[in-house]
Order: sequence, then structure tokens, then C-alpha cells
Amino acid sequence: MELRLENLTKIFTNKNGQETKAVDKLDITIESGTLVALLGPSGCGKSTTLFMISGLVKPTSGKIFFGEDDVTKLAPEKRGIGLVFQNYALYPHMTVFKNILFPLENMDVPRDEAFERVKEMANLVGIGELLDRKPSQLSGGQQQRVAIARALVKKPRVLLLDEPLSNLDARLRLQMREEIKRIQRETGITTIFVTHDQEEAMSISDKMVVLDFGAEQQYTAPQEMYNNPANLFVAKFLGNPPINTFEAEVKSGNLLINDKKFMSAKVPDGEYIIGMRPENFRVDDQGFEINVKEVFHVGRDTMIHFDFNETNVRALVDSESMTNKADKVKLIIKPSKVYIFEKETGKVLNHE
Amino acid sequence: MDKNLFEKSKKIEKITFIFDFLAIVIYLFLFFSLFQLLELPEIVDGRMALETLEFMTPIYEYLGSSFTHTQMNSILSILVIFSIVAVPMLVINIKKNNTKTIYDIDSYVAAGKFVQALINLLSFNPISAALRIYNTFVVIKFVKGYNVKEFFKSIPSGIKGSIEAYKEKRRILAEEKQVSDEYSQSLKKSIRTQTLFHTLRLLGTYLFLVVMALIIVIPFYWMVLTSLKNFTGATSADPEFFIGISRWNWVNYKVVLTEMNFGLYIKNTVIIALFSTAGTILTTILAAYAFARIEFKGREVLFSILIMTMMIPGELYIITNFLTVSRNGFGWVGMPEGQNQYFVAMIIPFVTSISYIFFLRQNFKQIPESLYKAARVDGCSDFKYLMRVMVPIASPTIFTITILNIFSSWNAYIWPRIITGVGGEEGKSYWLISNALRDTSFTLDNTRVMYNLQIAASTLVTVPLLIVFFAFRKYIMNGIGRSGTKG
Amino acid sequence: MNKVLNPIKAFFALIFKAIKTFLWNIRRGLNKVKRKITDFLDKHNINPAGKFPGWIKALLYLSPALIVLAIFTFWPIINSFALVVYENYNSTDNTITGYTIFGNFIKVLTDASFIVPSQNTGSSAIINTLIIVFISVPISIFIALAIAVALNSIKPLKGFFQTIYFLPYVTNTIAIGLVFAYMFKTDGGLVNQFLKIFGVTKDYSWVQVGATYNRAMFVLIFYSIWASLAFKIMVFLTSIQGIDKQYYQAAAIDATPRRRIFTKITVPLISPMIFYITVTSVIGAFKIYNAIVALFGVSGKPAGADFTLESIVMYIYKFIDGSNAGSLSVAAAASLVLFAIILLLTLVQMQVSKKRVHY
Repeated sequence: MELRLENLTKIFTNKNGQETKAVDKLDITIESGTLVALLGPSGCGKSTTLFMISGLVKPTSGKIFFGEDDVTKLAPEKRGIGLVFQNYALYPHMTVFKNILFPLENMDVPRDEAFERVKEMANLVGIGELLDRKPSQLSGGQQQRVAIARALVKKPRVLLLDEPLSNLDARLRLQMREEIKRIQRETGITTIFVTHDQEEAMSISDKMVVLDFGAEQQYTAPQEMYNNPANLFVAKFLGNPPINTFEAEVKSGNLLINDKKFMSAKVPDGEYIIGMRPENFRVDDQGFEINVKEVFHVGRDTMIHFDFNETNVRALVDSESMTNKADKVKLIIKPSKVYIFEKETGKVLNHE
Repeated sequence: MDKNLFEKSKKIEKITFIFDFLAIVIYLFLFFSLFQLLELPEIVDGRMALETLEFMTPIYEYLGSSFTHTQMNSILSILVIFSIVAVPMLVINIKKNNTKTIYDIDSYVAAGKFVQALINLLSFNPISAALRIYNTFVVIKFVKGYNVKEFFKSIPSGIKGSIEAYKEKRRILAEEKQVSDEYSQSLKKSIRTQTLFHTLRLLGTYLFLVVMALIIVIPFYWMVLTSLKNFTGATSADPEFFIGISRWNWVNYKVVLTEMNFGLYIKNTVIIALFSTAGTILTTILAAYAFARIEFKGREVLFSILIMTMMIPGELYIITNFLTVSRNGFGWVGMPEGQNQYFVAMIIPFVTSISYIFFLRQNFKQIPESLYKAARVDGCSDFKYLMRVMVPIASPTIFTITILNIFSSWNAYIWPRIITGVGGEEGKSYWLISNALRDTSFTLDNTRVMYNLQIAASTLVTVPLLIVFFAFRKYIMNGIGRSGTKG
Repeated sequence: MNKVLNPIKAFFALIFKAIKTFLWNIRRGLNKVKRKITDFLDKHNINPAGKFPGWIKALLYLSPALIVLAIFTFWPIINSFALVVYENYNSTDNTITGYTIFGNFIKVLTDASFIVPSQNTGSSAIINTLIIVFISVPISIFIALAIAVALNSIKPLKGFFQTIYFLPYVTNTIAIGLVFAYMFKTDGGLVNQFLKIFGVTKDYSWVQVGATYNRAMFVLIFYSIWASLAFKIMVFLTSIQGIDKQYYQAAAIDATPRRRIFTKITVPLISPMIFYITVTSVIGAFKIYNAIVALFGVSGKPAGADFTLESIVMYIYKFIDGSNAGSLSVAAAASLVLFAIILLLTLVQMQVSKKRVHY
């Protein structure tokens, strides 16, 4: 089911009359059967967007389409969505079986078929043996699977997940995100999930939407976004360790770093913000010489700290290539991996 | 650990339950049949000649045998004692049997079963006794792998073993005393003093608790004791603290139930309690839900108004409510005979209580809102959500409200009194137990009070509540404790 | 055995299933109907509730409660204010002879049996009630707290004692009151027998003919405390048990003596509860009525006594039965006086609590 958001906007007015724009003219088409992440820092409007898609929150303006249908004014229960809450919202007094059965009780489904579907869904998410337990007797991961099963048992058109992994411990998170991916593949349902963890979003989603203050920053596949960020915000948001950014001047088509020419740049002269990812540096004799400030060895990686234009910059290189405590080191970086951002807007200039 | 033996023991236990239950049924049946036979004094000039009660010595015939008055008392007493012992035992056993796992079975369980077998024998329940003894040996086999013969053979060696262990302990202690290290000596001394203080304090606490408990319990004991005495015994200047089972006058209860109409009054009270509680639960659940979950303008204002009215004393309401239900208002009471609706007047005004609404609303608010959202997404209507999610989750609170309401109905006095007071004779038949207790004349010739009968009425009125209490003990106590902490 | 049971079990299972399926299908049908209706309304954009959907729903849910409350709670409040200004209101023919603002209040406040006892009444409702409140409430709270602390510190038999202490709650006030009256019987009552052990020779009268005011009041206060312990103990125990053990552990490491633990840790941490219990106990004690009736009957005093043990509420109820014209107004006035007293005391307690209660 293709999902289309057309100029979706949400403005909250609080008691004192102050307005907050939570979502700002979001315009996105999500292809059927894809797993899309809504990514962004706290308060960027991703949960609000999710709830507008679900129908629990009414948009201030804009439209939402499920396929051909305009569902903007439709009540949540009529849209055919499945929603998994951050705290799972399982009914504590019902068994797992009854929890999953609950949505079907409100639909036009014969009893036998309903029971079959519950069992089928439980097996799909991997909790087939736990049907008689109550939620309090389950672990966090198991509870989440129940929540997913409950959302899917309706065979919804769209599956929505609100920060599904944030309540789990680190190791479980790894496991569960792969599970989510697997379930999505097997059912083929268009799925949207909200997260603030970029690593999580990048690892499993087909495409990501990065939001900041309710506005879309970029919408594309994870690796593409990582390599070709549309603006400074996206570049800074993705990547661990984070991208290095510093101010630099371009004069006569040359990028100047530490008052030396670093590389040529096909942009007009002026002041820009430069972005370079730590892992894109290599130690090489032909490279740009820098004064080493500090060196951190962490297993197979070594982190070198130095200054570009009086800003601290990190380079992540192989431990093999950087053995001793040298004061000076020569580093190179591919020009395609150097990002030049416009100072006022943050837009990237040398990448398409 | 032979699982089969465990299962077998459980099965035998289940069969034993059937016979236990049968025994209880028989006890109760016998009790009620004999109770029916008890003879009451004759009716003279329209009232029962209760002065003769003490001197009656009827002979009873039952199933071909004849019993004297005192023998009848003894039999009834024994039947009551059996029932009081057997019913809780059965209930506890059933609970235990369902929850015991294979790891809980040890030799104490076997000993317990054996003791219960003895109790069964004493209660004239030979079948249960035999089954239990058999079960004892099954459990022993399970725990120790012995069968019967080996078990008995193992007893002497078991005794020897424990004597050995004891001797060993003594030896180690004596060795430890040899250690002349100063520090450890003084350390041991201070530990001993500490333990002494600790033990003293523990003893003191228990003593205090026991004294308090006695103060609480003695009125109950005195109540039951007096209810079974005869008139002389109850009014004597030197009352006995204990009477033998042959002198337990069960006929007192029969008098109170029939001649003094307490059967009717208890029935009235039960009706009131049932309907008022049902109505209260209904209105409270709906109203609490409205205040907790439904968004409407002025919700908080309306709720605050309700809270403020909680402070106003109930006496204020009674005055006007009396006018409202009488001839000037709804006309439920104060009308000519036959047109009065006493039950309606007693129930309807109290079918809602703001404090219960407040209490339940608190509980409803604690249920996470995400559950509501999840249910809405699944197409669940408000009412369905209330009934199938919120009510089950809040059921402990609802249960507490039920209990509180039942207790207050049981204790209702002033309102029923006012309502039935205007009805004269007709009103009297609608008395509730509190009214009956206070306003029934228990006197002989209007001077001497028949305390034994009066106290028997009190006991009759107290016992049903006690039974309810013991059945739901945990829930009631937890609920009351929690209702206080709502703050 | 199983061969017999299994077909029977299967049969019942089938019936069970059929019933459940039937219920399920009913629900399905209802859902369908509901959906058709809402679809129809949505299509034609009909919205009966307009801008205030919450109101209609709320009204539906609240109506049972509100109707009853309106008739039997709100109306009486208003009516009481009306009653209080009527003069000689006659309830049988619904007539009054005039209006008076303070007339009824004056009647109440000058009545010897209400405020200031005169020579021949010996005591007044207000004095009696005040005595009961200010003696029984502190004592019962203190005892309940002591018992709760003691209970909390033992492990074996805790449940047993808890059950015993809870028994007085599970009773009928009048029934047990009669038992108490019997226990305090002059001639051979349990209490007098008990006193004989200590060498007391005289048979004192506590609640019957010949009882003195002090003795009768003692019995009333004793019974009052006895009956009110259960609830307090339960609430205190629950809140003491709710105190985080870590506080006690920290105090233990600092070798704090037990009394300090009690006064400096336990009591402050449960002070909201103590406050709540104090307020509700005071309010409840002010309204004492059933207990007095239980011990002394509707007259409110031992037979032949020249004093009365009436409480304020008892005084009020005296006038409700009343066929005297205007008595209902007096009752209303007295109730308002009671309300004022309770309100005042509650406000005072709230002021005190600001310093002592820690949330």
C-alpha cells in the first residue's frame, strides 16, 4: 500500500496561545512494501507525523493518502493501520492470546479464522509457545513481539512503530531490529518506524526520512544519505564517530586549510563549512601534513586528533598505519569525500 | 523424584476432597434437620412464653433414636465444630493442591497429611482418613524412596542420626569455647548481649501484641459464649467463663430467628445490601470513567464541586431527603398502608457516593493512556474499552468499593429507622438488622432483659459478615489498606 | 476412568465452543451494524454532536450518578439553607408561619442540651462530642501506630495478628455495642468480675441505672477506640510497609537507636498518612451516633440518669423524628453548626500539617 503525505503540517497551540510548529509541510511518498525510518533528534516531529498517519492526531493542514484513498479525515480504526507503541501498551490482565485476538474482535472475522490468525501471527513473530502467559510474565523483547503481532493480526495496510527499540537493552536491540526487518520482509507490509538512533535506522530501513523541527531534510536510502548528505544537519546526524566540521575559505577555486591549499573546489570564493568523515582519512606519504595533538588506540582503530583551522578534527585510521607517536603525520582524503556546505543554509554544494 | 508418584498423590488428594466435601454436606444437613426439630415455647396470648424456655426439657426423636435436650445440644455443638474445622481445611487444601509443585513436597507434607488423617478420624470421616493415610505413604515413598516397611525400619536409624548430629554440634561449640583470644571473647560476649536484648525486645513486642489481641478478641468470645447460655446463666451475678457442649443452647438462635423475626430482618438487610451495591457499582464505574477519560469542557470544575460536597455532613442530607421521599415528594413512605415502597426509599438515595467515584477515578487515571490509544486504533469503542479493559484492570478497587458498601449497608441505622418509623406496624416488617437489634424488646415482662437472646441476635448478625471476611480476607485487608493510601 | 470421562469432556467442550461462537457472531453482527451507521454518517458528513462530542458521551455516562446526586445531595444542600430560614415549618401540610434568619440558630445555640449545660441537664451535646473527639482520636491513633509498628517488626504470626486486629471492622456497630453494654453490666458483667480479681469489691454501674457520667463516658470512649483501631492499623501498616528499606539500612549503619528511627524516619515518612487519618478520624468522631445508640439506646443516656451522653448528631436526629412544627429547621441549623465546626477544625489541621507533614 503506497503511502503519500501531501504538505502535512501540524501546529500546536498551548494554553497561553503560543504556537509550536511540530511538522512543517512534509511531502513524501512511501512506496508499498518498504521499511522506512523517521529519523531525527527529540522534538523533531517524527512521533507527531506517525500519529497523524495513524489518525490519532489531526493535521492542521495537508493530506494523507493510503494508495488512492484520502484518509485525512478518516477515524483511526477505519484506516486499517497497525500501531506499536513505545511501551507496547499490552493489556496486562489478558493473556498473550487474548491480547493478539483483541483487534479481531472488532472486525468482521469468523471465530475459527480469528483463532487461526492469532496462532499464525504468534508463530511469525516467534512467540508461539507463550500464548497462555500474561504480559507481566514476559521479557521486554517478548512483549514487543506480542505488540507487533497484535498490530499485524488485522492485516493492516500500513504498520507503524513508535520508537520500538528504545525500551530494550543494548544486546536485545541488535537482535530485535533484525527481527523487525525479517517480519517486514515476510509480510511485505509498508512499515514506518520512528527512532532517534541513526545506527538503528541505517541498519534496517530501505529508506530514511530525516526530520529537523518538523521539516524534511532528506529522504533516501541509508547508505546514499550517508555518503551524500543533503545538508549539514543530515551529515552531522549520521555517522559514529560524527563527521568533522570546520570553517574554511575558498580562494580562487582553492580550499584553504591551515593557510595552505588543500584541494581545488568548484565553488565560488567565500567562507564555507567543510565536512570530512573521520574514517575517510588515510595515512599516506603524499598527503597533507598535520601536527598530531593526541592519539587514541582502540583495538583495530586509531583515532588521531589534530587541528584544521583551529578546530579539533578526528581521523580514524588503521592501527597498523599509525604505530608510533609521531608528531607529524601525512593524511589524504578523497575529494569526493570532502563536503562543502553553504554557511547560512547548510546545504551541500559539491554533491548532487 | 518420581513424577508419577507426585501425580498419584495429587489424584488421591482430589478424590479425598470429594469425600471431605460429602462429609461437610452431611454435617450441615444433619445440623439443619436437627435444628428444625428444636422445640420452642408455646404461644400464649399472642406472644411466645419465653419465660418457660429455660425449663423446657423436651425429648427429641430422630431416625429412630431419641435424645434428651442436653444430648441434642451436644450433637449440634459437635456438628458445628466439625463444620468450622472441616470447611477451611478443605478450602486451604484445595488451594495448596493446585499450587504445589513437585519441589515443594518434603517429609513435612507427609506428616501434615497424617495429622489431617487423624482429624478426619475424629470427625467421623473414616474414608477420608484412610485415603489420607494411604497418601502419606505415597508421599514418603516419593520423598525418601521407601515403601511402608522400610519406612518403619528407618525410624530408629533416623533417631540415631539426629542424636549423633546433636552431639557433634555440642562438641564443636565446646571447642570454640577453648579459644582464648581476647578479642573474639569480647566479641562473642557483645553478640550474646545483643542477642539477649534482641530476644527481650521480641518477647516484649509479642507480649504487647498478644495483650492487644486479647482485648480485641474477648468481646467476640464473650458474645458467642453468652449467646449459648440460658437465661439464668446470662443474667447471673457470677457468670461462667466456659460451658460444656451439652449446655450450648442452640434453641436461642431458633427463637431469635423465628419469633423475633431476625430471619426477616437479615433478609431485608441482604436485599438492601445487594441492590444498593449493584447500583453503586454501576453508577460509580460510569461516572469515574467520565471523569477520568472523557474530555469535556468543565470536567475539572464539575469534579471540584463534587469534591467540595464530600465535606458536608450526611446529617444535612437526611433532613431534606426524608421530606423528598415522603408524601410531599416522591411518596415512597408516609403513605397509607400498602402504598409504601420502603426498599426503594432505602436504596435509591444512597446508590451513588462521591468518595467512591473519587477513589475509582484515581485508579482509572493510573491506567496508561497508551492502552486507550491502542484500543482505539483497533476499533474499540469507549464503552467496550471501559468494560473489557479498564474494569478488569481496576477490579481490586471495584472489589474494595463493593466490600465497603456492603459493610455500610450492614451497619445502616438512622436512615432505615426514619423511613420505617413513619410506617408504624407495616414499617416494622422492613426493619434492617441494626434497627431490629436496638428496638426489639428482649425483655421478660418488660423488666428483665433476656441477654442471652439479645446477644444471640448480635451473634447472628455478626456471623455472616465474619464468613465473608474470612473468605476474602486477603483482598479485603489489602483493599482497605490501599484505600487509605489514596490520600 | 479416563475412558468414561473423555467423551463427556468432549461433549461439554463442544457445547462450550458452540456458545462462544454464537456470542462471537453476535458481537460481529453488532460491529457490522455500528460500522454501517458510522460510515453512513461520515459519508453524508452528519455530526450530531457538533463541536462538543465529549459532552454527549459524558452526559450519558454521568447521568445515572448525576441524577441521583442532584436529587439526594445537591437539592438537600440548597433546601437546608431554605429550611434554616423558615419559621415553624410544618412538614405535614407544608406550611410556614414566616421567615427568620437567625431564629433557628439562636434556638440551637441557646438550647441547654446543645451548648452549655444547665443545672439539670448535666452535660451538653457539644461538650460530650468534644470530649469524645479530643480523647478518643489521639489515643486510638497512638495505639494503632504502636500496633502497626509492632506488627511490622515481626515475621511469624504476622498474618494471624493482622486478621485478629481487623475483626472489629467486620461487625455491626450496634451488635457489638450491645455486647459491650453487656460486658459492662453492673451485676455480673465481665468487667466488674475482672475488677474483682484486683480486689475491687463494689459492683460499679457503668451503663445502667446508677452509672455516673465519667463511667458512662469511659465505656463510650473505650468502645469508640476499640471499634476504630482496625481501619487505622491497616492503613498505617500498609504505609509503613511502603517505606523503602534503604532508609532503615542507612540508619542501621549509623547505629541509630530504635526510638530515633521511629521518630525521625518512620513517622515523618508516613506523616501524610497520619495526617489523613487524623483528619478523617476527627470528622468521623464528630459524627458519632451508632455507638451511643448501641450502648445507651435512643435516649442517649443510662436509665434514670440526670445527664446525657448525647452527641451533636444525636441532638440533630432528635428533631427529625419530630412532629413539632419547626423542628426540622432546628435540625438543619444544628447540622450547619456541625459543618462549621468540622470545617474549622479541618482548616486548623491543614495549617498545622504544613509544618509537620512531609510529602
